[in-house]
Amino acid sequence: MSDIAIQVEGVGKRFRLRSSGGRTLKSMVMDMIHAPGSERDLWALKNVNFTVKRGSTLGLIGANGAGKSTLLSVLAGKIRTTGVISSLLELGAGFHPDLTGRENVFLAGAIMGLTREQMTRRFDAIVNFADIGTFIDQPVKHYSSGMYVRLGFAVAVEVDPDILLVDEVLAVGDASFQRKCLRRMAEFREQNKTMLIISHDLGTIQAVSDQILFLDHGRVLGHGDPGKVVGQYETFWRNQASAERSREWGTREVVLTGAEFSDESGDATTKFKWDHTLKVKLGYEVKTPVGASIFGFGISDEAGRLVHGSNTEIAAMSIPGLSGSGFVELEIPRLNLARGTYFFSFSVHSADHKVNYHRMDNAFAIGVESDMNFEGICNMPSKWRIV
Amino acid sequence: MIGLVKDIFARRDLLSMLVVRNVKIRYKESALGFLWTLLGPVFLIAIYAVFMKIIMKFPMPMPVLVSGIFVWQYLAMCLGDSSFAIIGNANLVKKACFPRVLLPLSIVLANFVNFILSLLVMIVYLLWDGPHFGGIAWLPLAMVIHLALCTGISLALSALNVFFRDVQHLTGIFTMAWFFLTPVVYDISMISSITDKHPILGQMYFLNPMAGILALYRAALLGNPLPDLSLIALSVGMTAVVFVAGIMIFQKLQPGFSDEL
Repeated sequence: MSDIAIQVEGVGKRFRLRSSGGRTLKSMVMDMIHAPGSERDLWALKNVNFTVKRGSTLGLIGANGAGKSTLLSVLAGKIRTTGVISSLLELGAGFHPDLTGRENVFLAGAIMGLTREQMTRRFDAIVNFADIGTFIDQPVKHYSSGMYVRLGFAVAVEVDPDILLVDEVLAVGDASFQRKCLRRMAEFREQNKTMLIISHDLGTIQAVSDQILFLDHGRVLGHGDPGKVVGQYETFWRNQASAERSREWGTREVVLTGAEFSDESGDATTKFKWDHTLKVKLGYEVKTPVGASIFGFGISDEAGRLVHGSNTEIAAMSIPGLSGSGFVELEIPRLNLARGTYFFSFSVHSADHKVNYHRMDNAFAIGVESDMNFEGICNMPSKWRIV
Repeated sequence: MIGLVKDIFARRDLLSMLVVRNVKIRYKESALGFLWTLLGPVFLIAIYAVFMKIIMKFPMPMPVLVSGIFVWQYLAMCLGDSSFAIIGNANLVKKACFPRVLLPLSIVLANFVNFILSLLVMIVYLLWDGPHFGGIAWLPLAMVIHLALCTGISLALSALNVFFRDVQHLTGIFTMAWFFLTPVVYDISMISSITDKHPILGQMYFLNPMAGILALYRAALLGNPLPDLSLIALSVGMTAVVFVAGIMIFQKLQPGFSDEL
């Protein structure tokens, strides 16, 4: 038996987009004369290659529509395997609402290729894990959504699959059930089983995966060490998020040409640790020489709330006039922000606040890591005393 | 084809569970449950009996009508259900790996189970009615051909309806037309005055597989005389064509199922 559990080579999946949505006589004729490979084709996956070693876990990350779920369904549905593949692509996907939990469990087992005897042996463990007691003999349409998902998960893990495919399971169920799932998945790893996991919870996926595959628009953008790929994804995501939010305007006598973020040792980064130094080198270019000016900055959180803002005037720094091009440097010695993503805005305007030369809102995103525990976005040093 | 049979055999556990599921959910939550398998045809029989025998004075023996409706009912059920065999299980088709052919096949077999039960009831009625069963030896052949016909049609309809939802709307009309082209509410002997004069019309008539199948059932259950065996052979041949064509259509279309759903 080789030590490779899954080998994916040059996998692609193309959807043909139909203009009208439905299949009409006209669209059928058009499809027939229409050559493949045109702009009406959407590649949900293109040239995906990777291998997963037996006993290891591969995490799949990427934005919505990146092709993660498509990849898992391709693996679940199209590929002939020798072992049992259990997929949690959709918990309880095969459940029929009119059948009881018991009937559905046996049916789900049969779909995954287990015999009735094999299922009978596992049945008690499934009911136990799902923790639904006497409801097992009720039609599943009377189940709460939590019970439904628990039973689906229980079936998928208790059928003892060789490969487990998990799509966003950790997003459902209450906290105690999630802990149970994570525990069960850890046991899986110990039993040398192979797992493929999709999750948007980067912390969890980084913790449970041996390798991570980062997909965007059907293409592999990163593959390898979890920490590294998650970092890469976060940077990518932040750039996308700021691209969506950013807005700029002004009279453009002075133009802001860019901002370089770095940490205390001067290494360029957009990921910062709480309480560490953040430096920004802000470039400008003067198109028409101007008089006294002010540079300003603002930090907003993901919800768009302004966390902090200041400018050179408040900092009592006077800039009598600007010409040519150059840089101003901003330093925040101790970044007292909670964990999350923040957006920087910069502006340059006349000292009398009347002419706005150039303003870039939410143009730069940074990530903040923090193990500091407090409520809110910004840490305020505080002390307690019993008096 | 051999590969297909192997696939089905390998997953026979799943097939039997799907059959049980289909039998169970058909009448789930209905107070009369399985009785509906009988009540449906019984009401149909009552309607035709009143309308044709009493109002239109159509000289038709009851056993002919009863056997016609019960036998027809199996095909009609398959025609009605099979369009939804794949599209009604979109979740399974998209998310799990198993031979798709099990879905329409399980519907055909579940309806076959219902048919056998109603056949038993019909046999009880015929025993009460009087001496019948002259050609009972024909019964297994009739049932095998009947099953093959339903399988072929169901496979084709289930696969075609994935791509052309028009199919589910067309089947109703198609079923109605087929019903009257088939000697269900009349006996083949009633059109013999025409077919005797023009044998070619008789041959064309038996290109309808159900014509031969019903003739076999009525020979088996009622002891009616069997038409010329060459005519029966035409029906059997057409059944084979439908069966093979159904499998071919299904196999050709099934790779596209999960993308289309």
